[in-house]
Amino acid sequence: MRFTPNEDQAAFLSVLAQMTEAPEAGWKASPDWSRFDYSASLDRMLEDNGFFECAREPTLGLVAAASLTYQLARVPALVECAATSTLRALFAPDLPRPVAVIETDPLQAVPFLPTAKAVIRLDGDKIAVAQLEPGVVQEVSSLFAYPMGKLAAGAKLDWQTVDGDVHDARAVWSVATAAELAGCLKGGLDAVVKHVSERQQFGRPLGAFQAIQHRLAQAATKAEAAYWLALRAADRRTPADAALALGYTQEASGRVVQDLHQFMGAMGLTLEHPLHRWTYRARLLRAGLGGPTANLRAYYARKWTNA
Amino acid sequence: MDFEWSAEDRAFRARVRAFLEKELPANWPEIARHGPGSREQTEFSLEFCPKLAAAGLLMPHWPKQWGGGDRPTWEHFILGEEMWAAGEPRGAQYMNVNWIGPTLMRFGSPEQQQRYIPPMAAGTAIWCQGFSEPDAGSDLARLRTRAVRDGDDYVINGQKIWTSYAGLAHNCFLLARTGDGASGKAGIAIFLVDMKTPGIEVRSIPSLIGHGDIHETFFTDVRVPASARLGEEGQAWSIIGYSLANERVGIPRYEMASRVLDQMVQELRRRGQGDDAVIQLRAGSAAANCEAARILVYRTVEMRSRGEAVDAEASLARVAVAEAEQSVTEFGMEFLNDAFTGDDHPVFLAHHERAIVTGIAAGATEIQLGLIARRWLGLPNGAA
Ligand SMILES: Cc1cc2nc3c(=O)[nH]c(=O)nc-3n(C[C@H](O)[C@H](O)[C@H](O)COP(=O)(O)OP(=O)(O)OC[C@H]3O[C@@H](n4cnc5c(N)ncnc54)[C@H](O)[C@@H]3O)c2cc1C
Repeated sequence: MRFTPNEDQAAFLSVLAQMTEAPEAGWKASPDWSRFDYSASLDRMLEDNGFFECAREPTLGLVAAASLTYQLARVPALVECAATSTLRALFAPDLPRPVAVIETDPLQAVPFLPTAKAVIRLDGDKIAVAQLEPGVVQEVSSLFAYPMGKLAAGAKLDWQTVDGDVHDARAVWSVATAAELAGCLKGGLDAVVKHVSERQQFGRPLGAFQAIQHRLAQAATKAEAAYWLALRAADRRTPADAALALGYTQEASGRVVQDLHQFMGAMGLTLEHPLHRWTYRARLLRAGLGGPTANLRAYYARKWTNA
Repeated sequence: MDFEWSAEDRAFRARVRAFLEKELPANWPEIARHGPGSREQTEFSLEFCPKLAAAGLLMPHWPKQWGGGDRPTWEHFILGEEMWAAGEPRGAQYMNVNWIGPTLMRFGSPEQQQRYIPPMAAGTAIWCQGFSEPDAGSDLARLRTRAVRDGDDYVINGQKIWTSYAGLAHNCFLLARTGDGASGKAGIAIFLVDMKTPGIEVRSIPSLIGHGDIHETFFTDVRVPASARLGEEGQAWSIIGYSLANERVGIPRYEMASRVLDQMVQELRRRGQGDDAVIQLRAGSAAANCEAARILVYRTVEMRSRGEAVDAEASLARVAVAEAEQSVTEFGMEFLNDAFTGDDHPVFLAHHERAIVTGIAAGATEIQLGLIARRWLGLPNGAA
């Protein structure tokens, strides 16, 4: 076992770190107080440098794509990465991007659809893709920190089936979702740790109170386990490992998100502080692919019944 | 990154399993039911460990110089998983393998090494750890047992408590204060004490975790030669820092939890309850907690195998392990209650009995959470 990246992965991650530390990735409030800040320039930097194709590179692989998704989820700015760097890279590399993913109900609102150029469907027994022509998507005003939209009722899309097993694709998408959720938890945790280290009440930093330390330490334990389970699932690419990583992270995320908001106080409820950028992605991702109950039951089925 | 066992690791695990299969008697679950500190299990270990040693499976990771095989850290860990999951047939001797032996190799005098390491390597030495005292638990630096220099000797007076295995131990790895009462961490030394020395009295404490496991150990005018001191006066704290870093993730408790959970699910499936959605959810969740604990523990082992120092990573792992064990116990108690109220599932009972320890021994969960907060998250120092 080796928990450290190989040489190519290390180089990939170090260039990525420069990009995620650049001002494009950082916090700025949206001029219209929208809940997300799509960074077209960060997106372009990543695309131009081939980052989104890493899953197809033998020495980088799905582990690199999961790491990429995780690291981008840690920054306040938004880029469509999870679907592009996993499903598109592995199953439909010629599809235009950004892409949106339909997991279950083709009429439900999903992230990125209003800005996506293509959509991938995993709800049937085949992997289906379609390009999005103007007018087929209806934007939805949403609680969550993504551009959200749904397919307009009666919209005609030109669905094409692509090669690949839909169970494998769902496993890959579970890995991507787990990695993105783990990254959101870590991004939010880092922001709250910074806040409670600086904010003083009762003559000392909030972070010196043991009640807060212990709950943040518990959150850190879960976030760390989630990160490694996501990477292991990416390395193994089995439905069991994918369901485990996603189910564990979703189950853990409820309490973690609640605590992150708790310790940020009223400031965490504003759109002037970035906390919501992580927590209002996490709250949606917690329900992804059926949510913790469905994914933990899927893990049970894979582990104990070979289903 | 690579999260799979190597072919070599797998072959080693198969060897350990084959050995256990062959050497554990049919009534082993009954013996193991009473815990690693019980008389039954300790006596068993004195027969079992020499066989392990002869097969090269007692301390494969130790240096050749001390009878080991210079094998990778991972083999030590695979061995620990298989032994603990089997109910720990090494009894108390896992401590020698995990940390007392390595501590003596690093800090012992040549005489101490010659005297104590060969019996450990032969599988015939039982040690106990005399750290905790009635007024010094989590706050170990407050310990009061005194060792006063008298010519070429030290005279030791004081009381230890919760001392596992003390009833049958040959030797004690003892912490005592050589400085004055206010000397704190800087005034403590380690003594390697023969448990037959006059003045030592051991009383077993009746407990929830198996008979003969924990004890009170009294020291009244116990005279030991100065050569029994390990390291210098005042050096104890840095030495045990090294020792306990090895101990904190020393017991692979998630492995037993995960195997017990597997047996619980098999039993429920036999009973035709495998399709119950609630059981599937709760079992999936408990299994996920076991895997979370496992991967955090593996991360620390992997760091150690690369020679990297393990710090708060060990605390993260321990917090997750305590949670995993608890969720497996709760699962069993809820869905297989009759297996816990009766006595035909000794393995379930043994798990139930042991799981209560994890959040307390070797540094309570709150102590681990404090370490994570300050050393992992970098939060400011609070009250304790
Ligand atoms: C099965 C078992 C075997 C053991 N074997 C040995 C042995 O062989 N040798 C040996 O020396 N010792 C042994 N111990 C003792 C063990 O090291 C101590 O139990 C442990 O250090 C905790 O000390 P305590 O029990 O005195 O609890 P205390 O220190 O009294 O603490 C009680 C509880 O208070 C909380 N707490 C304590 N400090 C803090 C804090 N700063 N902040 C917040 N909460 C806190 C924790 O929840 C803790 O569990 C054993 C213990 C057990 C359970």
